Amino acid sequence: MSEEDNGENLKGETSHEDENEQKVEELGSTESNEEREPVPVTRKRPEPKAPSQSAGTETPTAETSKVSEPPASQSGWGYWGSWGKSLLSTASATVATVGQGISNVIEKAETTLGIPSPSEISSETRDATRGSENPDANSADATGDGSSFPIAGAFGVLSTISTAVQSTGKSVITGGLDALEFIGKKTMDVIAEGDPGFKKTKGLMNRTSTLSQVLREAKEKEEQQTATEVTMTTEKKAHYGLLFDEFQGLSHLEALEMLSRECESKVKLVLNALSGEELETVKEEMEQLNEAFSLAEFFEEEEEEKKGDEEFTKEVTELFAELRISTKPDKLIMVRTSAHDWIAQFNSSLPKEEKESEENEEVEPGGGDHDVKKSVEDIHAFAIRSLAELTAYSIESFHRTAALFLHGQKQEVTATDRAKSLSQVTIVLCKELSSFSKEFTTCLTIAGVKEKADVLNPLITGVFLEASNSASYIQDAFQLLLPVLQLSLIEARTELSQQ
Amino acid sequence: MPGVGAIGARCRHRPRRSPREKPEAKPGEAGAAMDAAIWIYQFRLIVLGDSTVGKSCLLHRFTEGRFPGPLHSDPTVGVDFFSRLVEIEPGKRVKLQLWDTAGQERFRSITRSYYRNSVGGLLVFDITNRRSFEHVKDWLEEAKMHVQPFQIVFLLVGHKCDLVSQREVTREEAEKLSSDCGMKYIETSAKDATNVEESFTILTRDIYELVKKGEITIQDGWEGVKSGFVPNVVHSSEEAVKPRRQCIC
Repeated sequence: MSEEDNGENLKGETSHEDENEQKVEELGSTESNEEREPVPVTRKRPEPKAPSQSAGTETPTAETSKVSEPPASQSGWGYWGSWGKSLLSTASATVATVGQGISNVIEKAETTLGIPSPSEISSETRDATRGSENPDANSADATGDGSSFPIAGAFGVLSTISTAVQSTGKSVITGGLDALEFIGKKTMDVIAEGDPGFKKTKGLMNRTSTLSQVLREAKEKEEQQTATEVTMTTEKKAHYGLLFDEFQGLSHLEALEMLSRECESKVKLVLNALSGEELETVKEEMEQLNEAFSLAEFFEEEEEEKKGDEEFTKEVTELFAELRISTKPDKLIMVRTSAHDWIAQFNSSLPKEEKESEENEEVEPGGGDHDVKKSVEDIHAFAIRSLAELTAYSIESFHRTAALFLHGQKQEVTATDRAKSLSQVTIVLCKELSSFSKEFTTCLTIAGVKEKADVLNPLITGVFLEASNSASYIQDAFQLLLPVLQLSLIEARTELSQQ
Repeated sequence: MPGVGAIGARCRHRPRRSPREKPEAKPGEAGAAMDAAIWIYQFRLIVLGDSTVGKSCLLHRFTEGRFPGPLHSDPTVGVDFFSRLVEIEPGKRVKLQLWDTAGQERFRSITRSYYRNSVGGLLVFDITNRRSFEHVKDWLEEAKMHVQPFQIVFLLVGHKCDLVSQREVTREEAEKLSSDCGMKYIETSAKDATNVEESFTILTRDIYELVKKGEITIQDGWEGVKSGFVPNVVHSSEEAVKPRRQCIC
C-alpha cells in the first residue's frame, strides 16, 4: 500500500515541481496549511497526512516481502536524487513559513500515533532558541532535553538542533519495516519541507551563537553522555558530533567563522567609506556575487543518478581547479572513495552469503568470517563516520579556500566566478551526502532483514537525518564564504584602480 | 620515557577499520568516541614560528606517530588542526587542541587572530636556520600584543636537532634566550621522534599546574582552557572535591 502511494507521490511531485518552486515565493507570507496541498516546498507529497497514518497502520506482515525487493526500494531512494538541490533552493526561502507546516505534520503524527505532544516539542524548540539569547538558559536546556529522547545517541548533533525533526522521525518510524522506503522519503520530505534544524541553526547564527557554537554544544553534550555511560553499546559509538570534531570539522568551522566575521566587518568599513558612483558600481558587482550565493539556478539533470567514483572525483577536481588556488580536494575524494569501496565490498559479499552460504568461509579473503559479515551496527557506525568525515573535510576545504582567496596568489578569476564554482561544489557535496545516505541505508536494509524494526529503523533514520544535517552544515559553511569573496572582490577592484 | 610506539598505541583506541577495508587509514586520525570523551581539561595550544621550521611535521609526529617526509610538505594554509590526549597523571588526561599556524608572512593577519584563544604555545625555530631563531623575539612580541587580556605559556622549541652538522644555533644561546623570556627550552626532531612527546607533555604539565593553582582560570568566551567530562568511575576523591565540572554558571 505504501509503495503504491509512494509511486503516486513521486509522479505527483515531479510534475508539480515547477509550480511549487514558484509557489515558494508566492506563498512566502501565507500560512501553510496541511489540509490544503500548497505547502510551499519543492518536494512534498500531495496528501501530507496520509504518511503518518499509513506508517502507523502498517502491519508487520508486509516486512519480508518488501525487504526482499532491494531493486524496488533502490528506485524509491532515487527520489532523493535532487534532495540536496531541493534543500538548497528552498531552505532559506521557505524556512519562515514551513515551520508551520512541520508542526502540523507532527500534530498529525501525534494524533494518529499517540506520540508526545507537538506543543512540547515546539516549546522545546522555543526554549532552545530563547536559550541562544541567554547562554545560561541554553546550557541548562541543552542538558535537559537530550536525555528525554531515548535514541538521542544515534542522532548525535541532532538532539540539540533538530528536536522537532527527531521527534517526527521517531513518529514516522514507528511503522513497520515495510514502510522503510516510505520512511526515507517521509523523513526527507519533512526535512526538506521544514528542516527545523536548519532553520534553527540559521536563527541561532543570526543571533549570538554561531554554527560552530551550536555544534560544539551538541558535541559537548555527546561527550558528557558518552562519559557518563560507561557501558556502551556498539550503536552508541556512532556519535556524529564527536566524530565530526575528531576529523577537525569543528575547528575548521570555527576558524572559517572567524575569517568570515573579519571580512564582514572589513567589507562594511569599505562600503561606508565609499559614496556616489563608486558605491553604486561596487554594490552592483556585489549583487552579482550575492546571486551566485543564493543558489537559485540548478540544472534539472535528474538522470545522472548513478555516478561513478570517477565522476565525483573529476567534478570536484575540476571545480577546485576553477578556483585557481593551491589546494586540492584530495581528502574529500579519499573519504568518498573509501566509503564507496566499503559499500562495494559489502555488496559483493552479499550473493555469497545468500546463495552459497556453505562455501562462504572459503571464498572470503583472509578467512575472517566476521570481518566481512557486517552487523547493522557496523554499517550504521561506518555510515555516520563517513558522513562526519566527508562533512568535516568539506568544511576544511571551504576554510582553506577562504584563506587562499584572501592571502593567495594574485587572482586570475573573478570573485563571482569563484562563487559559482563553489556553489557547484556545494551542490556536488550535498548530492554526494544524499547518495551516501541512500547507499548506506540500502546496506542497512539488506543486512537488517532479520532485525527487528525497532532496532533497524532508528539506525536508518539516523543515517538519513545526519546526512541531511551534514548537508545543512556544508551549506551554512558555504554561506560563510560570501563575506570572504565580497572582500576579495573589493580588494581586486582597488588593486585595479591603483594600477 | 614513552617512545614512538607508545604514541601510536595510545592513538589506536578506536575500533579501526581493518587495513583491508581502508588501507590509507591513519592511526590516530580519530579516536573512539568513548575514549576521546574522557578528559579533565582541554587546552588549546598554538604552534608558531617561521615558515619551514617544521611545525606541521612536529604535529604529525606527535598526533599520528609518523613523519610525513618531504613529499607531503605542502605549506600550511592559514591554520590546520590536530588533537591528541595526553596523560599528565595516572588517570588524568588532557585533550590538546593544536592550532598549527602557517609560518608564511602572507597568512600573518589570519594567524594573529588565533593567539587570543590559546592557553599555550610552542614557539618553534629551526636549529639549522639562524634567521628563524632571530625571529623568535618577533613572534613573542606579536603574540603578547594579541593575546591580551589573557596570558599564554610558551615553550621554545629548537627543531631539527637530528641535523647536528648543519647547526647554526647553539644550545647555549637558545637556552639564554628562553630564560630571558621566561620560557623553557627543548630540542626536538620530528624525523627521529626525539623529544616530541616530551615537548608537548612539558608544556601541558606547566599549564596544568597553573590551572591547578588558579593562575589560569576557565572563562566564558575564552577557548584556551575548557573543562571536560569525567565518568564517575574515574573520579578520584581528590578530583571530586575540586569544582572542576563545566562551569554552567
